This record gives sequence, C-alpha cells and structure tokens, in this order.
Amino acid sequence: MADYAPVDLSAGDQVEFELNGVRVSVPAGTLLVDAANAHGVEVPVFCYEPRLGPPVGACRMCLVEVEGMRGLQTACSTPVQPDMVVRTNSPVAKDAQDGVLELLLANHPLDCPVCDKGGECPLQDRTFRFGPGRSRFVEPKRHFPKPLDLSPRVALDRERCIACYRCVRFSQDVAEDGCLTMQERGALSEITTLTGEPYEGRFTGNIIDICPVGALTSIPYRFVSRPWDIDNTPSVCGGCAAGCNVELTVREGHIMRVTGRPDPNWEVEEGWICDRARWSYDADRAPSRLTAPVIREGERVQQPDLDAAVDAAALVLANTGRVGVLIGPDATVEEAFAATELAHTGLGGAPVQALTIDGAGLAPLRALPTAQLGDLDHAQTLLIVGGDPANQQPAVELRARKARRRGAHVITVGPRPHALESLGESHRSQPGALRAALEGLGDVGEGSLAICWDEADLAQEPDAAAVLARIGREREAISLEMGHGANAAGLRALGIPSTGLREQIAAGEIDCLLTVHADPTAAPGAAEWGWALGRVRHIVAVATHDDQVTERATVVLPAATHRETEGVMVAMNGRAQRLRAGATPPEGAAPGWELLIALGHRLGTPPPYRTAATAFAAASAAHAALGALTHDDLGTLGRPLPQTPVAGNGHVPDPVGFSGDGLPLVTVTRIFGERASHRSQALAEARTGADITLHPDEAARHGLPAGARVRLRTAHGECELPLVIDPDQPQGAALVATGVPDAGVERLLPADRTPVRVEITPA
Amino acid sequence: MPQLNLVYRQREAGDHLRDLSDYRRAGGYEALRTAVTTMEPDEVTYSLVRSGLRGRGGAGFPAGRKASFLPKDAALPSYVVCNADESEPGTFKDREIMEDNPFQLLEGIAIAGYAIGAKRGYIYIRGEYEHQALVLDDALRAARQAGFLGRDIFGTGFTFDITLYRGAGAYICGEETALLESLEGKRGQPRLKPPFPAVAGLYASPTLINNVETLSAIPPIVERGADWYAGIGGAEKSPGTKIFSVSGHVMRPGNYEIVLHQTTLRELVYDMAGGFRPGHDFKACWVGGSSVPVIGAESLDTPLDYESLNGVGTFLGSAGCIVMDDSGCIVRACLRLAHFYNHESCGKCSPCREGTSWLEKILQRMVDGDGRMEDLDLLEGLFGRISGRTLCALADGAVMPVRSAIALFRDDFVRVIENGSPRPEPMMEVAVHG
Repeated sequence: MADYAPVDLSAGDQVEFELNGVRVSVPAGTLLVDAANAHGVEVPVFCYEPRLGPPVGACRMCLVEVEGMRGLQTACSTPVQPDMVVRTNSPVAKDAQDGVLELLLANHPLDCPVCDKGGECPLQDRTFRFGPGRSRFVEPKRHFPKPLDLSPRVALDRERCIACYRCVRFSQDVAEDGCLTMQERGALSEITTLTGEPYEGRFTGNIIDICPVGALTSIPYRFVSRPWDIDNTPSVCGGCAAGCNVELTVREGHIMRVTGRPDPNWEVEEGWICDRARWSYDADRAPSRLTAPVIREGERVQQPDLDAAVDAAALVLANTGRVGVLIGPDATVEEAFAATELAHTGLGGAPVQALTIDGAGLAPLRALPTAQLGDLDHAQTLLIVGGDPANQQPAVELRARKARRRGAHVITVGPRPHALESLGESHRSQPGALRAALEGLGDVGEGSLAICWDEADLAQEPDAAAVLARIGREREAISLEMGHGANAAGLRALGIPSTGLREQIAAGEIDCLLTVHADPTAAPGAAEWGWALGRVRHIVAVATHDDQVTERATVVLPAATHRETEGVMVAMNGRAQRLRAGATPPEGAAPGWELLIALGHRLGTPPPYRTAATAFAAASAAHAALGALTHDDLGTLGRPLPQTPVAGNGHVPDPVGFSGDGLPLVTVTRIFGERASHRSQALAEARTGADITLHPDEAARHGLPAGARVRLRTAHGECELPLVIDPDQPQGAALVATGVPDAGVERLLPADRTPVRVEITPA
Repeated sequence: MPQLNLVYRQREAGDHLRDLSDYRRAGGYEALRTAVTTMEPDEVTYSLVRSGLRGRGGAGFPAGRKASFLPKDAALPSYVVCNADESEPGTFKDREIMEDNPFQLLEGIAIAGYAIGAKRGYIYIRGEYEHQALVLDDALRAARQAGFLGRDIFGTGFTFDITLYRGAGAYICGEETALLESLEGKRGQPRLKPPFPAVAGLYASPTLINNVETLSAIPPIVERGADWYAGIGGAEKSPGTKIFSVSGHVMRPGNYEIVLHQTTLRELVYDMAGGFRPGHDFKACWVGGSSVPVIGAESLDTPLDYESLNGVGTFLGSAGCIVMDDSGCIVRACLRLAHFYNHESCGKCSPCREGTSWLEKILQRMVDGDGRMEDLDLLEGLFGRISGRTLCALADGAVMPVRSAIALFRDDFVRVIENGSPRPEPMMEVAVHG
C-alpha cells in the first residue's frame, strides 16, 4: 500500500542533503524515508504508513546511518536536515536491516506457500531484498491456533503478525472506531478487539490492505487465488457518489477481490475504502443477477440469445407508439449519452428523464468553488450540513475525521443523528428548519471554511441552500456536495432532466418505456411509479439484476455491472473518473452502452461511435460540461470537470412545506442497508434492514414499544416497519431507513422528493 | 565507610516519619518554605543545576539540567511526574522512602513543581506497592490538611497538588514515556523521542519526570544549599549520597545510603552488607540493578560513583546491587534475567520483542544441556542486533548483563554448554538487615 508519502520535488523551500553519496534535495520537513523513496532509494519499512498519522518508530526496519548522530536513526521519524549525510546502504545500516528481518522471521511461520499474502507480501519482498539468506533460529517457534475470525470478513493469523501496529493505528487513528488493540506483551503480543467482540465497522477491511504480512486476510478471498494468476485493474467503486478509486482483482474473468489502490488517489479516498466497496463485488454473481435476455409475450417467456433480444427490443421500441427513456443514477456517462442520443434520433425525440434529485434550488451551492475530498484536509473549519455521510458517502467520514485530527473545527447541522456529530459542534435542526439552524450559527468557525452539504436535504430545503450558499460566498468557502447516485453528476453534465417523464406517463402520453439501469419502484415515488409503469404497454429494460421493472419488461437486455464495463462516472463533486472492465460480463450480457449502440443500429440510426471511449468523446464534444475530456485525459486518477458558475442573485426562495399529517419523515440510507449489500453474500452478516427510529417519548406518545411493527402511511403510500427506539433520535420526527430492497419504504415518498409527514400506528 | 542519611531522614530520626508532626520535628517542610517564600522558581532550578544532583532512577542525567529544559512560555500547563514505578530487579530503595519518609518525597515534588511553574504533580507508583500507596495516600491527605498542598501554600499564592496513580504491573512503565502513556490511560509503551517529555510529556504538555529518590533529595539541597550538596563526596560529577539496595548472597541485604565516591564496592558488600556465608566468597555483582554489565571480584575496590563504575565497564544505574557468591551458576542467573526481560518487553520494537524471546530460548536450551558452542557466537551476533536499535533502553538492559557475563565468565558458559547446569541447592537462610 502507500508505504511512502508522495514528495513534491518541485515545491519551493528545498533542502539539500547527501543520500548514499549523492547530493539530492527535497522540501524542508520531508521525512527521510519519503525523501529517499522520492530519489529512488528504498528504505524498507513495516510500521511506517504515511496515512496513519505521525510515525511510531516501532518496527525498526528503517534504521539508517546519519553522520554525526549517535547510533542508527529511524528514517521514518527523522526529518531531513540541510546537509545531513545519510547512508542507507552502509555495512552498519545493512546489518540493521538484516538484523531486524532475522528477528522478525524468528517467530514468523514458514507457511508462505499456503498464505494468501504470499507473492504480494512486503515481508517476503523485503526479506529477499534486505534480509538474511538463512535463519540461525533453531528454537521452537511461537504457536497460536490459526486463524481466528477477527470479524466475519477478516481472518487473523496471530503467528504471522509482526506487531507493526498498522491495523491498531488504523482503527484508533483513522477510522477512530477504537476497536482494535494489542493485548499481552512482548513476543506474546496479539491483535484483538478491546471488547473481544468481532471487529465491526464501516472501514474494517482496510486493515487487510495495510497489513505487511499475511496476518490479516480477507475471508471471502481466502485461498481463492494466488498473486501470479490474477490481474489487478484500477477502477472506481460505483457504490455511492463519492467516487472512491479501487483496484479490482480478477481471475479468469471474475472479480475475486476489491482493494484500495496501492497507489492511492490522494485527491479522493487516499486508498481507504469502505467495507461495502470492498466486499459487495459478489453481488455481480448474486442469484438475482441477469445472465440471459428475456422476451415476454403474454404468458410466454423466452430466453433468446442476446442478438435476438436486441432485435426484439428494437422492434418493440419502433412499434409501440410513443417511447420514453428512463435512466438510473448508476448508468455511466456513455450509457446515458447513448440512451439520450437514441431518444433523439432512433426514437424520434423521445422524452428522457434521470432518476436523480431535481436540484433546481441547489444552483447557488453548486456555484461555490468545488472541493476535492483531499481539500478537506486543509480546512480550518468544516461545516457539514444535512445528510449522514458515514452511511451515505463513507469517504467523507474519514476525510472529516482526518481534518479534525489536523485541527479543523467540525460543525454539523442537520435533522438526523449521525456518526460525525461527535467530532465537534453539533446542531440538530428541526425537519424543514435547516435555514433557521444555519442562520443561528452566527460566525461559522474560523479560518478557511469547507462546506459539505447533502444534496437530498438541501434540495428539499431550497431556502436553506440559498442561505448556506451566502455563507459560503461570504467566507470564500470551498464546497463539497454529498451527492446521491454514483453518476448522478454525470447525468447532470449531460443535461438530462430529473422530472417530466412520469407526468407524461401518467397523462397517458407514453406507450413504451426504455429503462437503463433504472428501477423507479426502488426510488422515492415508488408507489406513483408503480402505477405509472402499469400504464405503459411495453418496457425494454437494460439492467444488471432482476427487479420490479425487469419482472414486467417485455424485453430484458442484461447489462454489465460497473465492474464489467468501460466507462466514466462523475463523482458527486464533479470529478470524472474511469471505470475499467475488470471482469467479463456473463455470456448473455453486454455493457449497457454496447446494447444501446446496437439498438441505434437496429433502429436505423447508427451512432458514429462504437467503443466506450469514442462514445465518451462524442458526449464530451456535445456537452461543454464534460470539459472536452477524453478517456485518455482521465487516466487512472480522473479529472475534475470544469465548473460553470451560475451567478446567483442571492434570492432566498420560500421554504417547501411538509405535506400530509403526522410526524415529519426523515430518511437515511444505511451503508449496509442498500441494494448492493443485500445482494452480497460476503456482507450478509453486516446487512441492516429497514426500520423506523423514534425517540422514546415519541414512541410512548404513539403507544409503541420497542420492536413493535409499525404501520406508516403518507399521502403517497404505506408500509410496515419494525420500530427502533433511540434516545439520540430527536423528538418530533421519524427517521426511516430507505434503500432496503423490497421493504417498500420508498412508497411513502413522493416522486418529486418533497418533504412529507408520516402517520404512525401499530401494525 | 561513610553513610549519610539525607534522603533516609527517618534513619537519622531513629523511627519512621509517617506522621507529619514527626517529619516536621525532623526539619520537614522547611525547604519548601524556603523555596516558595525566599526564592524565585528559576533560582530553585539553578540551585538544582549547581548541586550536581543526578537522576537516581538509572540514567543519571543531571536533574537540574532536565528541569531547565522545560519551556518557560508554554501555552499548556506544566506537570511534575514522580516515577515511583520501582521495578528494576534488585532495586528497592524507593520503597523505603515511600514507606518510612513519604513527606520528604511530597515536599520534593512540591519544590520541583514550584521550580517549573506546575500546579499539578503525579506520583506513578507500581501496582505491586499497595502498602506504599496507602502510606502515600495518608501522607497526601495530611499534607493537604496542613496546607503543604493545595491552594496558597505558605500564603504565597503557590498552588500545587499531587495525584497518586497506581500502575498495573509492567516494568516498562518505569520508562518515562511509557509511564506517561500509562498515566494517560493508554497501553504502557515507550514513545518515539523527540519530542522529549520536557517539551511534550503528559497530555503533550511540558513535563518534568523524576525518580522518587531524586525528588526526595531536593529538600536537603534547598535547605542547606547547592554548594554544600555539590561538595559531598568530592567527585566532581557524582556529588551527594546514593542509596544502594544490596541483595543476593550477602548476610545483611538492605538499603544503604552512602556518600558517593567515598565508598568502595568492597565496603558496601563486605562491611555494610555483611559479606558472605562461611565458605563462600564473592563471584559477581550487578551493581546498578539487573540492566547493567556484571562485574567480578577484580572490581571490588572501585569507588561507588558514576564515573568510577563506568571505568570498570558497568553503570551505577538504579544502584540495585545484586551480589552473587561462588555457589551460583552464572548461566542460570543470566537465564533468569533473560526471562525477566522477555516477560517485560512491551513488544513495540521488533528487535526487543523478538530478541529477548530468542535470548531466553537459547539460554534455556543451554541450561537444559542442549547448548552448542556456536551459540556463544550466535548470542554475540544477536546482542549486536538487539542493543542500540530500539526506542527505549529495555533491550539494552536485557543485553548488557548477559553479554558482559559471557565476556567475564566464558568458562562457566562453556562448562554449562558441555555439561548442562544442575539445579542449585536451596540457599541457607541469611540474616535480614536490621
């Protein structure tokens, strides 16, 4: 992983020093390990990890000779001084490297041939490069029963542990979950959780990536493949709008593993990924995965080959009157562009809608200078408005925690309890009263301000959005949108509207629907959409998994998942990044853009592109918001799209009131309570279901004991949920978990995502 | 054979000084009065510098200089921390201070607190010292009641109090930064230095951390003057008195506060500690606790002071003088020490964690009769890879006694490698000091 911090050799304020006889220079304050690495000299490390905070100097692997200093120095903790004379390869330094490795290997088992880490193991690699050829250790080795389940997903082999403390530091200092610790002393030291309970959290899998030996391994990946029969592909997660960069491990066309990038994207996730990003890949092979096309004619269901299915789809689209195109927020830029092009040409100007949030009121916020996640590190004040980033955009959580560790003052304002409220100053707003809460803040901290704001919450309260934008302008703040939908920002860049189609369907103006990764029955307005779907005669569905749309579609065209396709996704803050096809889609499926291009050909309007790259280039040429970028421009790290600021007039619109009776309804989608987690076997034990959370007094007022089944009813629909009682939940509001497949919570919500009240009765 | 009881004031008084009134009668708290009513804080520090007092915990670092390292204009509060985690094998000098003369320690801490501008001191006492903790607790209460701790001490506006904190039984917590970690409620493991505690110690604040005996030596210095203390003993860099804890095969084990440089090891072992059982004589001695190189009979006439002991290849250390007569097996002794260091290694640094464990395994094998001649070279090779390569001195402490034992008593090791080591006969009862 990121063993060394990047060093900017072109930065000002350089100091010169001598490294193994060569004069070199680095920015002042650079640590020796990083300085050496920047100049091509490897100083071996185990405990040093620049992302884990200050060095601890525990493993002693990086001892080097510094002229004039007594004894050897740990290069990981020694900043470069002007004219320092450093030797990393002198006999004394080499003896230290050899010595530490000999000692580390004394008790380390020789089970490399059956160790998942074997072949990609820093201990192995460094032993070859810096270590002794043979061991003088003839004593019995230390033995522990192998392996323990540190959690349902992480195995701990204590014999292999070299006590580098990286995992403990990750838990304590990065995720700040306080779970992991070392118990016992000396050679008996072992990693464990403080409580003895399994290590559960949102980011636990990162300890596998940073373990420099095979002590911590992924249980779903255990004994699955060896480093020499896998390919690793840099890609993007696609699980939420944050756009974390990941690496896909592929063997024989299948995803075997997802890890953080060994060369992190420092602007985005810096190599840390959430457990959903890491382990939900097996959703690609879930039972509900569509692997063969379907054609329904009345009661008859056929499973033709893909070509025949595309023909059938083209026939349906060409011959069923007026067509509408519905695009889901996870569709790639290429898929959405090919679909809109198809709508304009082959489908004769069919209306197109994206299943995204209508952000008309968000324009002033989107006009603020956009922050990259990495920019949060340097903020002196971090204002988090609305949302629940720990659940909905987990990468933001780690960045916010890091900013706080670096001294930022963190202020949260919002209607729901969440994990980041404890980082600093927390203001719980009444539902619908975000504006008042923001205005009540007075001076918003000091120094440089970064605002993280939740797209869904601020879209519901455009008055608050205008006030927040004013604060941002006055303070010259940078802004990070906490968006919803993996590529919703990409669909926005293509100019696809978020409204219109459903109303046209309802008005009987649409006969046939083409859906692209879109299941409106799993989105707000599910009830209205369910009714609307019933009004169209045919549906052609391009989809990856079986859902309510594919169940009733006339033609189902199975598509590749975002781990199986080339493409571009634009993260919530407008950062365009490339998906790379790690895995091969099932035989009966193809990338969505290929299917849509094929449909264009069948419909007599062949588009002038035939690859994802050319489709993106065409999209980019047609839409200025895409900044004329190409796949090659995006490289492996992506690029921010140009911002086109809209001059705001400072007008504060009227608030949007809550409709209906009962308690204001506040929603949250929990990290393991959404589609991907529910499709994944690996995450089975982490999954959460749908529920309603009430303050104890609120529950008492409604005569509801904990665990009771509750009937929820709004003007739009109803559902039944179990009740959770939590004193942390504010009174006067009901918190409901959305996103859980088949729970029906989305039926409560209006398709226009305006705020509603919910009536609560015992079920 | 000069003994001088400056720290062990109770011995001059003839009885313990656990009652504040007794301690006052013995001149107690006059030094604190002098300091806070007649001296500027810097004067106190300067007086410590001039006294030549060195840290009595083991490293022997000049106490006054250490106090002078604390920044004068820190934004965070300063703390005095008393290291009462007396865990060095063979060392039990602090125990007697805390047990029989607790107020002198409290007075010393208060003076140190005054010198560095602290409002709060901590005593970190090893968990096993339960009785001593109770005595200190009573003493703290009495001192508070009498106004020697708390607000407005001697009407000067000086406010200072002390918190007693019991450790949980780890040798490593005697290492100052591990102690601070433990005091902060964390796992006791040494920190990376710099920053040193003087700059960022307890709660990242400027911290003066000293041993019990060091702090207890402050009142006499303040009372009778730095020059007087600096003149005691006549060794330029080792003035004053030092308590030696003598244990092992001697007839009168116990604590002896001697004048540095004026006493030889022979006088300490034979005259004060009563020499050996009939038919037995001196073989070896770890003069400064278990973490120092062992010395043999040829060093018996060395004067006991920091420089002279360095001159014969060992250290004064914590002055826990472990004496062994000719009935003991040096290899077994080394094994026992190796076991101790393996057991107490905190496990943070690889060389110590793995090295101390390996060391014990090799010595155990030797004692069990499975030693190999090449093990002596292996051990020498290991020593070089363990010592000097870790965060704290524990690993060095594990290496030095064994490495020196091989150098000094190589024949004993060869004999054990060839024949193994029979279990020693149980030792006869020896008289107890007093």
